[in-house]
Amino acid sequence: MMISRNENERVLIEPSINSVRVSIKIKQSDEIESILVDKFTRFLTKRAENFLILRRTPIPDYDISFLLTNYHNEVMMKNKLIDFIIEFMEDVDKEISEMKLFLNSRARFVAEAYLSVFD
Amino acid sequence: MEDLDFFIGDEALQAAKGPAYSLNYPIRHGQIENWDQMERFWENSIFKYLKCEPEDHYFLLTEPPLNPPENRENTAEIMFESFNCAGLYIAVQAVLALAASWTSSKVVDRSLTGTVIDSGDGVTHVIPVAEGYVIGSAIKNIPIAGRDITSFIQTLLRERGEKDTSLKTAEQIKQQFCYVCPDIVKEFNKFDSHPDMFAKYIVETVNQSKLEIDVGYERFLAPEIFFNPEIASSDFLTPLPTIVDQVIQSSPIDVRKNLYKNIVLSGGSTMFKDFGRRLQRDLKSLVNERVAQSERLSGTKSSGVTVQVISHKRQKNAVWFGGSLLAQTAEFKSYCHTKRDYEEYGPNIVRNFSLFSVP
Amino acid sequence: MLQLQPQNLLVEEAIGQAFAPDYTPVFLDRIITDFDFTTYHLSTPESKTKLLLSISIKCWNDLVNYGVKELLLSKYSKYPFIQQAQPEYGYDYSLYIDVEQATFSDEEEKQQLIAELSLLKRNCFAAPFLQAFQRYEVLSKEQPVDPNNLYGEDSPNNSNEQVLQLHYRDMESIYIKPSNDRVTVIFSTVFQDDTDKIFSKVFLQEFSDARKRSIQKAPQVINSHQEIPLEIKHLEAANTHNKTYITFVLFPRHLSTEDVKWNSITHIQLFRSYFHYHIKIVKCYLHQRMRFRVNSFTKILNRARRDVDDEEHRSERKTASGRRFEMRA
Repeated sequence: MMISRNENERVLIEPSINSVRVSIKIKQSDEIESILVDKFTRFLTKRAENFLILRRTPIPDYDISFLLTNYHNEVMMKNKLIDFIIEFMEDVDKEISEMKLFLNSRARFVAEAYLSVFD
Repeated sequence: MEDLDFFIGDEALQAAKGPAYSLNYPIRHGQIENWDQMERFWENSIFKYLKCEPEDHYFLLTEPPLNPPENRENTAEIMFESFNCAGLYIAVQAVLALAASWTSSKVVDRSLTGTVIDSGDGVTHVIPVAEGYVIGSAIKNIPIAGRDITSFIQTLLRERGEKDTSLKTAEQIKQQFCYVCPDIVKEFNKFDSHPDMFAKYIVETVNQSKLEIDVGYERFLAPEIFFNPEIASSDFLTPLPTIVDQVIQSSPIDVRKNLYKNIVLSGGSTMFKDFGRRLQRDLKSLVNERVAQSERLSGTKSSGVTVQVISHKRQKNAVWFGGSLLAQTAEFKSYCHTKRDYEEYGPNIVRNFSLFSVP
Repeated sequence: MLQLQPQNLLVEEAIGQAFAPDYTPVFLDRIITDFDFTTYHLSTPESKTKLLLSISIKCWNDLVNYGVKELLLSKYSKYPFIQQAQPEYGYDYSLYIDVEQATFSDEEEKQQLIAELSLLKRNCFAAPFLQAFQRYEVLSKEQPVDPNNLYGEDSPNNSNEQVLQLHYRDMESIYIKPSNDRVTVIFSTVFQDDTDKIFSKVFLQEFSDARKRSIQKAPQVINSHQEIPLEIKHLEAANTHNKTYITFVLFPRHLSTEDVKWNSITHIQLFRSYFHYHIKIVKCYLHQRMRFRVNSFTKILNRARRDVDDEEHRSERKTASGRRFEMRA
């Protein structure tokens, strides 16, 4: 099952007999956003042992994959797990655009700080 | 910009005196606890003090024994992804301390096997190393180190009612006057018959006046807490030589002889005069007793055990010095992992580094 | 730390200690790094009171062409206790400082010398800039600024002017071109890392825009990626893959007095290091943010953990075909 807003933002949900795989493609409208997404997902997967449900490698064409197995259903509450995935999707977009804004404002600040010394 | 506004080292101590900054310690008990602050610490070390472009250089970092491999990976992540370092080597501090001892004339075979006694300000470690690998299961820590000696001196000064009993004065007295004696009872007698053994320490106060502080028995009593801990504390009572003996005895039997033969000192709190000599004598008597007992029980003659404690000039900064020896060799770069290795194999390559040798 | 410091703190500290009144001479043998493949060596080869300060710079031969030796002579020869020595093996320039003979008329003079010694690298790199500034003064007298040049274009008469070159890193160079109404300084720089390359574009855009927006008195900044600026077209090899060019146009206001000149020289030399430094710092900050975010995600996920194996949960268990487990007593 695929839910998508457009080519750049989509979620793929693949159910199977004992597990569900959820893969997310995060919005990347330019070079900077895609590098930030790449950095962020790498950061997450590097710490995958803390995220029981995170797969270390996403499936092709997607940025990040979660695998919910029977075991996870045993140790965690189903509705809270769903909450987590939804919250994750919302927060990731927000985080990426905040980081981009930060990068721009820092670049501006740094450039002005350098040039103002010539005065 | 908040993340640029900070100081490290002595400047941090200065800035913390004002109201605008607070003091943080990113490293606790030898291990990095706050990675954000550590990253900033490295920012300033590299760009403000070392003044180098990390892309042009290979870096040698050190870690305490038993550092979890995850910490190495986090370190590599910062070094390669934030700073683009050309290459990285992470060495175990005890192993570098062994390498530093090669400058001593007593060392003949330059092996990486030996027992390292590393005593700094907070804690003293006794670490057995066999052929460059730390024997983790045998390591022991002693809660007596520089800070305890200083506060012991302070207590003695206070009991005597000296005019100045600040920590700073106690610290100065420790560094200038203390030494290790062969026998405390004899040393007490010596002081009583030779009053010139007592010293005076002069403190300059803020208003230019000078205070004279008498320095007495603490000259030899303070470092004595390594050998007779009961004089200062009630909860830790095992003398240092006994701990060293226990550590070596719990190491694999085939390296024990070499561990006794090469006991290396490292860190500021091992700098007391005759510290090594006393340790060697006490340890030797422990070992000889055991050898004699086993000879009596088995009826055979033992080939004997050599106990040798090595003191050298670079002891105070042994780890740094060992590191600088290693980093200056032509082969150093070949022991490092490069940024390209990191990108190709991922952060877990830093879990293993090949052992070095210094020609 | 926002601005990089031009002086070398470790050299400053060591020299400062040596000139302190309560200095006890010690044996020194220190190797100290600086940006752009510069190395200092501070040692006491003869006696503990004679310091030998040596420096090696990658582009020393370029600097010699532009009169670095004369410049350094004028800087340090006024102190009788400092002698220019034969360069130590492996280094380009050496100074002998006799600490015992050192006398100062006042504290300020002492501090000034300590500063000048810790700025040795800056002083070396200043040579080509000073030469270009002198040439600009000659040109501006020969050929006064055309008041009709409303668009501030470089006059075509200057196109034959010699460009000073400093190949100060493996792939990177500084070019300085004097004209009658400006001095143009061009940096070529390379980014090894892909992330850095993309971040650098954001930064460079802001450098170019900053002047238009708020700081009108600053030099004009023009940047181009892979395309060689006109001034140095005949000097750069055609293979410009991955190279970025940043042009600073210094106007007469940046070259007016001695103090202003030295300020411009000191500051512009640090551009490359400053630029690369801040890209790394921004990555550090982003890492700090991501670390925080990862932690907060972990917390949210942990909230989903079940504390106990409760009754309600047990009844939810079923097999693939939908049959439920029966618990037998």
